Order: sequence, then structure tokens, then C-alpha cells
Amino acid sequence: MENGNSSGDKSSLKPIRCKAAVSRKAGEPLVMEEIMVAPPQSHEVRIRIICTALCHSDITFWKLQVPPACFPRILGHEAIGVVESVGENVDEVVEGDTVLPTFMPDCGDCVDCKSPKSNLCSKFPFKVSPWMPRYENSSRFTDLNGNTLFHFLNVSSFSEYTVLDVANVVKIDSSIPPSRACLLSCGVSTGVGAAWKTAQVEQGSTVVIFGLGSIGLAVAEGARLCGASRIIGVDINAAKFEVGQKFGITEFVNSMTCENKRVSEVINEMTGGGADYCFECVGSSALVQEAYACCRKGWGKTITLGVDKPGSQICLNSSDVLHNGKTLMGSLFGGLKAKSHIPLLLKRYMSKELELDKFVTHEMKFEDINDAFQLLIDGKCIRCVLWMG
Amino acid sequence: MDKTSSFSIHEGKPIRCKAALCRKAGEALVIEEIQVDPPQAYEVRIKILCTSLCHTDVTFWKIDSGPLARFPRILGHEAVGLVESIGEHVDGFKQGDVVLPVFHPNCEECKDCKSSKSNWCARFANDFISNTRRYGMASRFKDSTGEDIYHFLFVSSFSEYTVVDIAHLVKISPDIPVEKAALLSCGVSTGVGAAWKVANVEEGSTIAVFGLGAVGLAVAEGARLRGAGKIIGVDLNPDKFELGKKFGFTDFVNPTLCGEKKVSEVIREMTGGGVDYSFECVGLPSLLTEAFISTRTGSGKTVMLGMGKHSVPVSLGSFDLLSGRTICGSLFGGLKSKLDIPVPVDHYLKKELNLDSFITHELKFQEINKAFELLEEGKSLRCIIWMDK
Repeated sequence: MENGNSSGDKSSLKPIRCKAAVSRKAGEPLVMEEIMVAPPQSHEVRIRIICTALCHSDITFWKLQVPPACFPRILGHEAIGVVESVGENVDEVVEGDTVLPTFMPDCGDCVDCKSPKSNLCSKFPFKVSPWMPRYENSSRFTDLNGNTLFHFLNVSSFSEYTVLDVANVVKIDSSIPPSRACLLSCGVSTGVGAAWKTAQVEQGSTVVIFGLGSIGLAVAEGARLCGASRIIGVDINAAKFEVGQKFGITEFVNSMTCENKRVSEVINEMTGGGADYCFECVGSSALVQEAYACCRKGWGKTITLGVDKPGSQICLNSSDVLHNGKTLMGSLFGGLKAKSHIPLLLKRYMSKELELDKFVTHEMKFEDINDAFQLLIDGKCIRCVLWMG
Repeated sequence: MDKTSSFSIHEGKPIRCKAALCRKAGEALVIEEIQVDPPQAYEVRIKILCTSLCHTDVTFWKIDSGPLARFPRILGHEAVGLVESIGEHVDGFKQGDVVLPVFHPNCEECKDCKSSKSNWCARFANDFISNTRRYGMASRFKDSTGEDIYHFLFVSSFSEYTVVDIAHLVKISPDIPVEKAALLSCGVSTGVGAAWKVANVEEGSTIAVFGLGAVGLAVAEGARLRGAGKIIGVDLNPDKFELGKKFGFTDFVNPTLCGEKKVSEVIREMTGGGVDYSFECVGLPSLLTEAFISTRTGSGKTVMLGMGKHSVPVSLGSFDLLSGRTICGSLFGGLKSKLDIPVPVDHYLKKELNLDSFITHELKFQEINKAFELLEEGKSLRCIIWMDK
């Protein structure tokens, strides 16, 4: 294992041998095996994962057979851990700190990180890369045969230990229950942020959410916190409706049973002309178009959060765009800056405003990770939290 | 023809006057004698002082099929006039008032007009085809054979007299020279409003304007007043660049000279990642897509202003949108005519807003067809057509 640090202090850091769930082939069960995790380089942090949760994006890149999917890879990006060691030039955290890894970089230094308008760091532009973000073609993982294992979304949390760039680490209060805190490292932050920061839903608004997976439910939670008076949930799976009620969803539309009408027509009727805010939480251009069609003329906003296939296009009518005054916007990670906003959300959880418990439907052992995949694929869970041994 | 200063002579009676009629798509307008009926309830009959040609007039002039092809028609929607007489239930206007007719409605009574969030008017904005707002296809114009003449965009300013609904009329200060005021009844307000109200350009922002006609130049003027740092103009006609400098443009891009690169790539290079705001002022879907990806990920906003062919598809990359971009369209620069037009009038009177440079030609009413030629040849910005000269 290479150790790139020159200071005597850090040269005592050694590789760690630990368990990881390695994705070796697209769509096939992850293999629980021992791997080697190299020490952190300059500006990096090695953490011991406490628990990690499964997010739909992990499934997407697990199934995908073309780039940016790659194998063998350590997936997982929603987690919580404890700092085991730090590389040079790391001042933000020390050994023993509780941290959330975040796939969205927050370097704090570039023009975009410094601007309140953006959460897309330009020092580490967002991309689905196999490598550590700061060093060209560099991985900290190898299997026991010495073969490189690829990283995922700057996190790779399906491992007892992982290495993160300091731009992808947020220090948090250690007293927060880990299986709740880890949710803020991706899904719940994305949804709540979309309502709160991207859309800026105001009191009394009417909101429509297309897709009642974890993101959609998190949008509902965010809209609830913002004081929305109507939160309409749209899904093809009627089972989601009962669950949705716990998240503040006030009305449901099953898009499979709209008879001859389009969903957007039904919603335009229900809302007397369209919603104030529509959120697309699936990742389908056709659905984005439906959402756009049922946000209100004049001030309606449609926000896309779902990740579609690479290269997909959204097709709109030029006259609609020009005439009807609607706004279409997209955001990653709910428009949140990881280091500034995650702690704020955690505070709101601790003060019992933000509810996180209802997102965790299953808690399992890390070894049972493939069962968690199946539950999510079958639509039978919201968040499965996997605990390391 | 009414040339006396007393308006009461024709009150309640039809007026015989001259108008430039469009009798066939794309053919020269014909100056004919017409009859203009008195205003009904909620209407005002106005004496046009001068009018200017806007590209939208040209677009509609050329439509030869479909429901928008209607003949004979009185085009024109950018003008200034004096109130000649008022119908019942008209408050706020009296004979002799200097007024701007505006194509975009502002009824002041509907939910949207009462909200500050947009300039949509739920009551009227959905219909841009009827002859009158409250009386459907009833027309106030008759030609010399007694045949009804179609109105245009609820203004029809290519006539010595016209009848306008109060939702389409704004009273302005008599201090501003009328030919400058006329510009604010459409093009310049659209551009300046887009920069101020829709985009809300802030000091130091970078912007890109696609299409350097009157609207595009007005966007730059609006951005300049807000202290924008970099104002990039994109046009195929290099003559526009010299002209553009008067309006605050700092850089120019000619798409025909970009070689292999797309305009959006050139713009992203020039600005270290993309502009904060881009404005499409031509009405071409492919250009809108370019304008969209010329903006910065994480915070970029695109405003569509150009009115081109009706209902053509516009394609946006899903991931380009997801990466924190926003797109919206706007009619009349997001301005509520009655509330907002006095603002640029005031800026002009304080010598802050440049309106003079928009006027490149002045013609007599009889020469109106020359205005069409000049605009089509790209040789004019705004031609002022005087009724009385």
C-alpha cells in the first residue's frame, strides 16, 4: 500500500484489513469479503462506518452495465462514521469525531461554495467517478489479491472502513442516534432541502409530489415543515398512500387509475388551475413534463430531483415556456451545502421539528445487505439501515 | 379626422379615421379609411400619437394558416396615445390622459393580479385571440364596406384611433417625450423587466443575451443599471456589436465564428464555468437550449423572452437541469403594467435609463411598410411611426 505522506507523524498510519460488500458484477449479489483500506492521504480522512443505509442511486449503479458504472466497486453513500485517522492538512476533524460522509463536495473555497446561490462545488465538480476526488485515478481500496476496487460517489460506505476527502466530510454531534443521523447524508436532506431551499415552499402552499419513495416522502416532510397546507402525493403503487399519510401527505392520486385523463389534468382540476410547487422524484422526463403541466401558471414552480438515464432529454412546448410564466428548476442534494446545512437539519431533528424515525423501516446487520437490496427493489421499505458489527 | 383639441365632439359616436390594414399574410399593409366604434363598458377609445414596429407584429403578419391567420386585421401593439373618450365603469382615465396600451393584461382583480409573485392575469392571460376582452369576437373596427376588422393583441395601434380594454391601458406622466414612452409599451419594458423582475440581476452578475434586437438590448440596459459585471451579446450580425456597446455590452460572440465549438462552450470558457443569467431574445428553441447550458451549474437561470413560431418543441438535457439550473419564460418582462411601467418612466426622466438609443428611424404613418422592410433587413431597432406628421 502506498503512503504518500512525508511527515513522520502520519507515516505510522497503516492499511486496515476489514470487511466490505463488494459489487463485482452488475446486478449480482454483493460479495462480503476482506479488503485493504489504505491510509488517508493529504486532505483525506479514514473513517470507521457505524451504519449505512441503502439509497436508490446505489441500486441504479449496481444494475447499470455501462459507464459510469464500473466493477468491482464499493457502493453505498448514505452513512455515519467515526474518524479513525486523518491525513496531512486536515484541520476540520480529528480522530474520534463523529462525521457524516456526503457525496456532494463542499470545499468551502471556490466561487460556488462561497456563493449562497449554489451548492455545486466547482473545485470538485459533481460526477460519478471511480476514484478519490482529489487525486488522478487514485483508489484507497484493494482486494486481497491486490486488485483495485473502485470508489462510489466519493463515499463508498458499504465497507467497515472507508477513506473520504475532507470536502466530503461533515462533523456532527455524536449524541444523535446514528441510524437517524445517517439519513441526512443523502436522501432525507435531498428531499427536505428541495422543499426548503430549492423551492422555498411557503406557508399555505399547495404542493404535489410525483413518486413516493424516500425522496418524495422527504419532500413531503420538508413541505410539512414549511407549512404547506396541501401535499398531494402521486404514485402508481397504492401501498404508498398509507405510508404517505404519516409524512403529511393530504391527498393521493394513483396515476394508474386516472381513466382517460392525464395525471396533470386531474391535478389541475383538484387544485383549481395547478399547484404552487410540483416535485418530480422519480427520474423520468415524461413525468417531469406532467409535473410541469400541473404547476400553476404565473408563479408555479416545478422542481426535478429524480435522476434519469444519462443523455435523457426533457421536451417542452416553446409557447408554454414563453407564455405561462412557470419556472422549471433542478437540484442536486436539495440545493444544500453539506457542511452548513446538515448541522441545521440535525438541530431541527433534535428539537423534534424534523421527524426522521418514520423513514427507518428496517434495521439489519451489514452481512444481510443483499436482503436490503431486495427489499428496496420490491418497494417494501423506505430506509434499511445496516449496522456494522 | 379629428384634429381639434376638444375630444367631446365624437363622444358616443363612431369615428372615421385612417388605419393600416393587413389584408393578406406577408403583404404590404394598406392605408384605408375605417370606422372606430365608441368604447363600451370597461373600454377606452384612444387617439394614437405614435406607434412602433415590434418583431412580434412581423411574426403574426406572416402567419398564413391556422387559427392565428385572420384578415383583415389591424396590427401594432407598441404605442402611446391620448384618451379620447371612455366607456362606462372606467375609473382612473379621463379625456386627454397620456396612456400606453399594453398587450399583456392586468385586470387588477384576479388572484394573480393581486399577488406580487408574478404578472400573470388568470382572468385574461389565457386568451390572446379574441377581439375584445369582455365581448369576445365583437370588433370595434369596420372597414369602408362595413366588414368587421380583427383586432390584434387587444391593442391594434396601426390606426389613428383604437379601442382598448382598461386591463390593457396604463396612464403615464405627460413629462416623458411620447416617442420614448411608446417603447415602454412593449419591447423595452420586456427586456428591462426581464433583467429586473424575472432574473433579478444583482451587482457583479454575468449575463449572456442571445439576440441583439430591441428586447435583447433592453435586457442589457436593465442589467447595466443593476451593476452587472459582464454582459455578453450573441448575434449573427456583427453590426449589432457596435450598437450593443451603447447598451452596456462588454463582450460579443458571433456563432458563425466559433468554429467547432458551440456558443455555450465559448461562453462557459469566457466566464470560468458559465453565466449567472442568460436571456433568449429570438424565439428559437435550439437557441434556448444553448442559452440554457451557457449558465453556471448550481445557480444558473435562463429567461425565455423571444416569441418565435408557435408551439415548437424545446429540448433540455435532464442532467443539465438537475445540476441546479432554472428556466422560465416571461411575457412583458414579468411586469404588471399598471404598477410597474411608471418605474422605467421615472428612471428615464432622471436620465438613468437610456431610451433614446433604441430609436433608429422615424417615419410618417403612410410610410409604415418601410418600417417592416427596415426591421426584416436588420437595419433598425425601433422605427417610430408618427400619426400626425
